[in-house]
Formats: sequence, structure tokens, C-alpha cells
Amino acid sequence: MNTLPFVDSATIEGELQRLWQETAETTTGGEAVTRALTLNLIARATDLAMAERISAVAGELVASHPNRTLLAICRPEEAPPRIEAWVQANCLLSGPGVPQVCGEQISIDARGPVTAQIASLILALLAPDLPVVLWLPGPAPFDDPLLTRLLGVIDRLIIDSRDLADPAGDLRRMAAFDRDPGTPPGGARRVTLSDLGWAALTPWRELTAQFFDTRPLLPHLRRLDQVEIGYVPAGERLNPMPGLLIAGWLAACLDWTPLEEAVSVEGATLRLHLRRPAVGVGPRAIRLVTIIIAPVGAPGAAPGLATLRLRALDGVSADFHVQRADEQGHILTSAEVAGHVPVRRLTRCVAPSLAELLAAELRLLSRDAMFSAALQTAARFTAGLESPGTSTGA
Amino acid sequence: MNDVVATPLENPLRAGLRLWRTPEPCIVVIFGASGDLTSRKLVPALYNLARERRLPGGFSVVGFARREWDDSTFRQVLLEAVNANSRAGPVEEALWASFAEGIFYHRASFDDPAGYARLAERLAAIDAARDTGGNRVFYLATPPEAYAEIVAQLGAHGLNRSPGGGWTRIIIEKPFGRDLESARDLNRRVLAVFDERQVYRIDHYLGKETVQNLLVFRFANGIFEPIWNRRYVDHAQITVAESLGVEDRGGYYDRAGALRDMIQNHLTQLLTLTAMEPPVAYDADAVRDEKVKVLRAIRPIAPEDVERITVRGQYGPGSVSGRPVRGYREERGVAPDSQTETYVALKLFVENWRWAGVPFYLRSGKALPRRVSEIAIQFRGAPTLLFADTPVNEIEPNVLAIRIQPDEGITLKFSSKVPGQAQIRPVTMDFRYGTSFGVASPEAYERLLLDCMLGDSTLFTRRDEVEASWALLTPILEGWAAGAPQDFPNYEAGAWGPAAADAFIARDGRAWRRL
Repeated sequence: MNTLPFVDSATIEGELQRLWQETAETTTGGEAVTRALTLNLIARATDLAMAERISAVAGELVASHPNRTLLAICRPEEAPPRIEAWVQANCLLSGPGVPQVCGEQISIDARGPVTAQIASLILALLAPDLPVVLWLPGPAPFDDPLLTRLLGVIDRLIIDSRDLADPAGDLRRMAAFDRDPGTPPGGARRVTLSDLGWAALTPWRELTAQFFDTRPLLPHLRRLDQVEIGYVPAGERLNPMPGLLIAGWLAACLDWTPLEEAVSVEGATLRLHLRRPAVGVGPRAIRLVTIIIAPVGAPGAAPGLATLRLRALDGVSADFHVQRADEQGHILTSAEVAGHVPVRRLTRCVAPSLAELLAAELRLLSRDAMFSAALQTAARFTAGLESPGTSTGA
Repeated sequence: MNDVVATPLENPLRAGLRLWRTPEPCIVVIFGASGDLTSRKLVPALYNLARERRLPGGFSVVGFARREWDDSTFRQVLLEAVNANSRAGPVEEALWASFAEGIFYHRASFDDPAGYARLAERLAAIDAARDTGGNRVFYLATPPEAYAEIVAQLGAHGLNRSPGGGWTRIIIEKPFGRDLESARDLNRRVLAVFDERQVYRIDHYLGKETVQNLLVFRFANGIFEPIWNRRYVDHAQITVAESLGVEDRGGYYDRAGALRDMIQNHLTQLLTLTAMEPPVAYDADAVRDEKVKVLRAIRPIAPEDVERITVRGQYGPGSVSGRPVRGYREERGVAPDSQTETYVALKLFVENWRWAGVPFYLRSGKALPRRVSEIAIQFRGAPTLLFADTPVNEIEPNVLAIRIQPDEGITLKFSSKVPGQAQIRPVTMDFRYGTSFGVASPEAYERLLLDCMLGDSTLFTRRDEVEASWALLTPILEGWAAGAPQDFPNYEAGAWGPAAADAFIARDGRAWRRL
């Protein structure tokens, strides 16, 4: 890793070339090093600690998506004003007989007012004819100047809803961005929004959906009255985002419509009130559904979803439950439906790492329409969820 | 309803991109549960599917065999087998405990009617206890001699139809017959009991990612199909080489030989996927219709042509990868004067508009230097000499090689100028699965078991397909049987087959690829 004396795109490109030449020369005898690029990943850090975390993730990501990572460390408040850059190869440790695959990383550290120039440097350093992904970790991705500057060139914006500072306001901003990212008119590409928080919910959605692949249990999906969602908060901060997204997902799939007064708040517990489509005729046909989202206290537990329970209480009782069985990555599912034998099973569901979540998002070639639907529905709940000092978003 | 057709469930929670389909809860009944295939492949595959959340709650396995085991012994045997053979390493105890609750053992012999009557009761009891809804997969992992008996017994006890609206399917392992007549006979017996749509004839080669990628490569790209024909292709070579000898399968192998064991199934599959026309849809019947058309288009082999278009070999003592290897005739279960072939090379012509005149060379053998499977398409050379000092015959032709195992990938060889010199050298453009998709491919059996449970038979062999391939190859078996005994062994273990195989392809002015 060499810090460059003078930063312009030609110098950086030259340095990259020298890096690969050196790599080729030093690996005689063993398995050849394969340089592989499948995308440009622009990642923005706001401090050095975050930069280190991103670098670690970029290194891991080579396993599934060898890429050119452009790490932008933006520190506009810091002095002295200067831009530094360095290049490195991110290689995957390989076994005998397996080629060593490497991606590359360009890190640019900008301090002071010159931070504003970082976008133009990045534009000159993109590997041609490959998708461009912008990853903005942290609490306020939509306010980031880099997003505005790069909106016209990126294919995908990746954020993490679990990091967001203001769940209600940010959910609305996410939904607004998803509807219309504000790409310059006439632009050929449409920016797709990805959320690592949503990606983390995939196993939960999968296990929930599986109950209803069983033909006799499927009709109960249309009879659900109550959904209970428990999440473990990250530290002191309550972020019901995973619960809201799951609620949005269920409501979007099952055509549940939020009522006028859709949300009631009791302490840390949210209750969402919805109407489900009529089953049959008569006054009993229209039924309400309540979704309860509450933090669950489990000392030492990892943040995230902890339990998801779907129940039909009226008439034939049905109870579908997905819950953490332990903190070693096991989940217990159980289906208890009147007239059926209860079915319980333990399954494996290790919480995915950041790199795995990112890889899952990068695997998608198109927009995740289900995410959009869930997001738009979840945003409708937030009308009753004002928090002080929240902007109403885009 | 006795299904038969895969009806997609309308589960609204399945909408969207990311969620894998999971099958309905079902019982997989394995005949030959104490055998090698069950421990080495089937149960590790099922456990891995469960581990990766691809199987629903209630999923159950019933082992059917003669040994005096009970549920707990069987679970213990399988636990050891999974620990030894799973690609994910040793099991996680808590997970295994949950999976093993659904494993049962049913002791009976294949020809005992009472055993099947008890099996029917047992399955009904499991349906009730684990809510499996009458859905069943019968897996025949037994020696092929037992297939007809088991199928007949299943029919006699009404096990070919599911109670209560579920579905019943049957998976039949290779070899499916040993010639055209026996394959037809087995088909008749199977189809007297099951509908074709319930029958899944498995060829695990079709479960391999690279084999499936062959269709994606050909039909999802615009640039290859226009040159995928007689105008541009000189010939194709399909190789499935094994470095192992017959190991402990000598008894079986000596009655089968390489043509039955490899060519009739794996190599024929590779040939049909390489040569087929684009199907009208990616569904089971459309894909298999096109494969059958290829088999029907292959020039039939006349008895007098057999020796001319085939080469047989049998390995003698030698060494593979630095280890001494016994000769085939010294293997356990093999006759000391065996005439069984452990190597076959043959040349076929697909006589249709696309391929007329283009030879397809197939070769497969045991105790060869390396384990490697590939399909290589060699294109015609450049028509004229343009570059001084480089005779046109020294310019290597373009070759597109699709490696199926190991190191899966696709390579295109073309000529390039040597920097600074007026010379031309072949270089390759390489796509390696490992470098572009860092994820481990699932085992072929995982994919195929799941497909069967989901009711998708695209990657299984249909009745007419299996009969067409036997119809094609049976004359070779007959021609060989009628001909003079061979002077076996004729290649050393660790060599690339008999010298006659090299002469065979050299007669056409071509050479086998060095692999």
C-alpha cells in the first residue's frame, strides 16, 4: 500500500498498473493471481474507523463479487485541507490448485473543503462498462453530498435501515427515493435502492413463507388477526425498522390496508391497525388485523428480529411462530393449527455478516419489487409515528 | 388427486425475487437404505437441504432395507454417514436432532408383500404425526435387479397413489436397463404402475451446475448460437475421464462396462445438450423433446460399422498419480479373462441441418491419468495463410472448452501475436466459476432431490429419451459381442486409453485434446 504524493486520476491509475505488475512478478511458481472486476463499489466513510470497517468488508466481498472498491473517506470538518490516496489489491486466500482471485481498492482520504472534489476524482476512476454501486453506511445517507453528485452515474444505492437515526422520517425518505430517486431527466438508468436491513430479513421471510407452502395451511394466511413482532434493539436506541418492514411486507402481500388511525404507541410498543380483505359476505366478513411491534429484552442478544408470530384467533385457531432458539444461530419454527398435529422444527439461521448482506444485494440484477412494496406500505404507517425534530423527508 | 402435475401453490408470501421455493412437506422413502448411495449422497444431500432451510417442517425420511435395524440404529448410521460425507462438514448437534426426529427405518425385504402393507400403514401414521399430507417420493437406490419387484409391490399395495390429495413420485437410479429390450421392459413395468409424470429417472450429471449452464451459455448469449453449427464447427470432443479404477464395484462393473456405465447416460446427456436445438420454453417437456430429437437424428450404427466407429480398451496394471494400480482383471469381482471394456471412444454423426458431417467424438474410461469432464467444440481454422513464416497448419484452431469438473469453467482459445516477435501463439480467455461466483455449488443430488419434490422433471430423463439412447447404443453392444475377443488389457492404468484410440481419431486427421 503506497500513499501517493500527488493525487490525480492518472497517477492513481498508474499506481494500480504498477501494483498488478508487481503482483504478477512476485507470484511466479505458485498459482497465478487472477485480477477480476465485476463492478465498481463506491463506499463512503465519515471517519477512519468506518473506513477500516468498509475495507474489511471489501476484502471479504472479493469472494463473491470481485470489484474495484473506491473508498471515499470524507472529513470536511477536519484540517489541514488535503486529499491523499492509496491503492491496494484485495485478494482472497485460496487453497492449493485454486487460482487466487483479487479485486482492487482505491482509498481516497479528503479533509477540509477539498472534500467537495472527491466526487470528480471518483468519476474519473470508475472501471468502464461495469455497474456502479454506491454504498452509504451510517445514519444519514440521503443528506450525503456524494449521493447528489453521483446520482447520474450510479445503478444502485445501498443503505442500511438499521443505522438510520430517525426511523419514521427516514422510512418516508427511503420510500420517496424508491418512488423517484431524482435522477436527472433524460438519464438512461434508474437508480435502485437496496437496504441491508431488508436483506437481513430474508431468512425470516423465507421461514414464514414456508408454513404456507403446505396446502392445507395456506387458507389460514387469509384469516390472520394478529401479528407479533419482537426485536432486540441495538444498545439504547429503539429502531423498530425491521418490524416495520416485516409489517409492510405482510400487508403488501396479503392486501391489508392501514386504517385511518393506523398506529398507536404505548411506551416502546407500536400497534398497527389494518383491515384485511373480506373473506365471505356479511358483517363478519371484514376483519381487522393488529400488528404489534415491541422490543424484547434479552441481555447480550444480538440486535435484530427475535420473534415473529402470526395468529388467527377467531374461529379455528392457528398459530405460526418463528423465533430465535438461542444466540448460536438457531431458529425454532412451529405451526399449531386446530385439526392438525403441531409441527416444530429447529433450523439454522446464522445472522449474516455485513459482507454477506452486501453480496446478497449485489446479486440482484433488477429492482426488488417486493422490497418496494413493503417499503411503500411501511411508510404509510409512519404518519402516526412523528418523532421530535424529524424532517418529513423528500 | 394423484398428482402428478406440479401445481404451483399460490402462496402470496412467495412473491418476489429472493425466496427460494420450498417443497410441500413430504416423506422420502429410500429403498436400499443400508446401501452406499444412501450414506454417501442421499442423506447428506437431504441434511444439507434442511440445514439451508430448503425443506419444510414435517419433512421425513423412511429407510427401507432388510437389515435388522430400528429407527435409532438407522439414525446413528446416518449421523455417521453425514459426518463423513457432508460438504458442510460434521453436523450441528441441535440441527441434527431436529432433522433426525423425522427419520424412520422400515425393515422388510423387497419381495415381501407384508412389508409393503406395513409400509403403507407406517406412511399413513407419519402423515398423521408429521402432517406430511400424503406426499411421497420413493427413491430406488437398490441394485437394478430389484426395481421391477419394488415397483410392482408398490402398485399392488396402492402406494403408487397418495391418500388425501397428496402426490407420489418415484426416482429411479441409473442404470435404467442394460440394453434396449431391458429398458423397454422396465419402462413397461414402471408405467403399468405409475404415470410418466410421476417417474423421475435420475442422471446426476444433469444436476451439475456446469451442465445446466450449458443451456444458459448457448441460449442466453447472442454470440455463440450463430456459429454453433456445421459451417463453423469442425468437430466436438466430449470426454469424461475417471482416474479411479472400479474400486469395490467390480462385480457390477464387469457385467456393465464403460458403454453402459458412462456413455449411455452421462455422455449421451452431454451430447444432446451440446447438439440440441433451442427449446420453445424452459420446461420439462420442451427441453426433453429437443434432446430426444438429437438422439433420433444420430446416424444409426450398422453392425458392420461397429469396429470402425468405436475403440474399446481395458486397463492393465500401471500407476495413476504416482500410485501403483492393479489391472482390471485383478480387481475383486472381475473375471480373470474378462472382456469388459473400461474405456470406450466412439464417433457419432448427428444428421440434421445443423450438424450434418460434423463428427462428435466421445470418450470415457477408468484408470486414466486425471479425473476430468469436458465438452470441447473445435472450430474450423482460418481459411488462408496471411502471416509470413507461420504455416497455416501451425496456427491452432479456436477451441471452446466447457469444463464440467473439476475447476468448472469455460475457455476460448484463440491466436495472438507474441509481443515483439513475428510469431503467433495460442492464448485463452478463461471464465472460471470459482473466480466469478465465489459460492460453492450445491451438490448435484441436492438440486435433483429438490427438483423432484417440487415436481420439476426438466433435469430427469424421460421414457422416450432413455429408449432412444439405448436404441442408438445397443447395436454397438451386439456388434462387440459378435466380434472376435479383444486382446485385453490394452492400456496401462494411468495412460490416456489404448493406442488404438489415438490412431482412431488420427485417421480423421484430428487428435484428442491433451487434458
